[in-house]
Amino acid sequence: MQPMAGVAPFDDPRYLFEPWWPGVRALAWIDDGRLVRLQAEGLADALTSFAELADELPGRLMDDGVVLDGWLLALDEGGWLDSDLLRRRLAGDRAAGRPGFVASDLVWSGGEDWHGRRFAARRARLEAVLLDGDRCVVSHALRGEGTLLAEALARFGLGAISARRLDARYRFGAAGEGWLRVPIAPAEITERPRLALIQRLPLEESDTG
Amino acid sequence: MARSMWRGAIQFGLVTIPVKLYLATEQGGIGFNLLHASCLNRIQMKVYCPYHDEVIPRSETVRGYEYAKGKYVVVTEEDIDSVPLKTVRAIEIEMFIGASRDAAGTQFVKQAYYLEPEQIGAKAFYLLKSVLAEQNKSAICKIVLKDREQLAALNPFSTTMLLTTLHWPDEVRSMEELSLPEDQIEIKASEKKMAEQLVASMTGDFSADDYADDYRQALMAVIERKVAGEKPEPQARAEPTNITDLMAALEASVAAARTERSAEKAAGSGKPAKATRASRAKKAPKADAEAEEAEAPRQRRRKTA
Repeated sequence: MQPMAGVAPFDDPRYLFEPWWPGVRALAWIDDGRLVRLQAEGLADALTSFAELADELPGRLMDDGVVLDGWLLALDEGGWLDSDLLRRRLAGDRAAGRPGFVASDLVWSGGEDWHGRRFAARRARLEAVLLDGDRCVVSHALRGEGTLLAEALARFGLGAISARRLDARYRFGAAGEGWLRVPIAPAEITERPRLALIQRLPLEESDTG
Repeated sequence: MARSMWRGAIQFGLVTIPVKLYLATEQGGIGFNLLHASCLNRIQMKVYCPYHDEVIPRSETVRGYEYAKGKYVVVTEEDIDSVPLKTVRAIEIEMFIGASRDAAGTQFVKQAYYLEPEQIGAKAFYLLKSVLAEQNKSAICKIVLKDREQLAALNPFSTTMLLTTLHWPDEVRSMEELSLPEDQIEIKASEKKMAEQLVASMTGDFSADDYADDYRQALMAVIERKVAGEKPEPQARAEPTNITDLMAALEASVAAARTERSAEKAAGSGKPAKATRASRAKKAPKADAEAEEAEAPRQRRRKTA
């Protein structure tokens, strides 16, 4: 499922808003209590580069036969997102930062295909089966309050939010209105600089007359 | 002044260029000695003969070649000197090849040596160097070092030339036992593009000076502290900040934004802000996932680590 580009943050109770995490989108396959595949967007299996997730993710799941849709991230020593560390991780440097997986959606659960169900149900299922761990969490999200989340993320230094229709089904390819990537506009300048220079024009002769 | 470890001549055709060889590299690790734990004196490795059941001096040893199980023939210095090799005091150039990195067989290197021309051969030495550099060629040659004939590559390097000894083909292990399914892997154009972008983003100019052996430096610091009489303490490990802390920080940011909004509304209307936003977000999900299809998930309030 691929998002469409949004224009600006908005409020709509039909949408669930969450950060657009600056990572690499990935599908995580968990079967027989093992993380068997970690398919990163546009790349081969990232399981080797993010091997720590194989130690934690299956243990935090209350279900089996699960496919999660989320983001692979790399954190620096201060716990902040670092795209350079992520690139190094994906290039095979397992010492680069600490890995993280933020789950946003659930595609399979209990060995059943959840593609056809609405996002609200998939998301509720995701929250029910994945317990937060040190490296794997469900993404923080707000229903309906896109502008509020955008304000919060602007302080957070992130550049976009994800807006998903709660009634949308998981679609392969373009998601249409079901999923938008909405850029966060720069903060408004409340006090504009004032024009301080007033040029005095020479008076016409007739005026001086 | 550095001591040369070999003296001879580069030879090709009718040209002879007298040169000296110097080791170009050295082991950078920290060396340890084995001590007897009870008295802290250095132990000694004695040469022991099990047949005579006695320790013998090294001067009483000879070199033997095991031609059959348990059967040896003695090889003396005279035997080695009698070997009819042209390369005993020569770097015998066999051929010139393109100096690409993937030239067959030149990847398996052993040791690098700097060459220094004797004064009499300096002009010919730099003539050969300039031709190799301009034509981007390597010279493949043979040389006898440490009683062994070695295959080597000769390349221009900075203000001299570098002789790199190579492994013989029968010393290079086969890859047959490795699982290398290159032919079976299909790579999509999008995957290749992503990989190319990744490579481009990490491409730069390599300078070995930018890298340091951090382990060696840290170990040396520990040793120096012990020499100074200090007891080295285990390095305090920073408690890792995990991804749940990131979520907590995000929640705090949302809470701050919400508070500011509420304050602005209150200031604008003169009334306290309504709590509808928060109450709606905190709505708990129902247990039955199917029944929830019409409902939104609750705002997440997960614990932080």
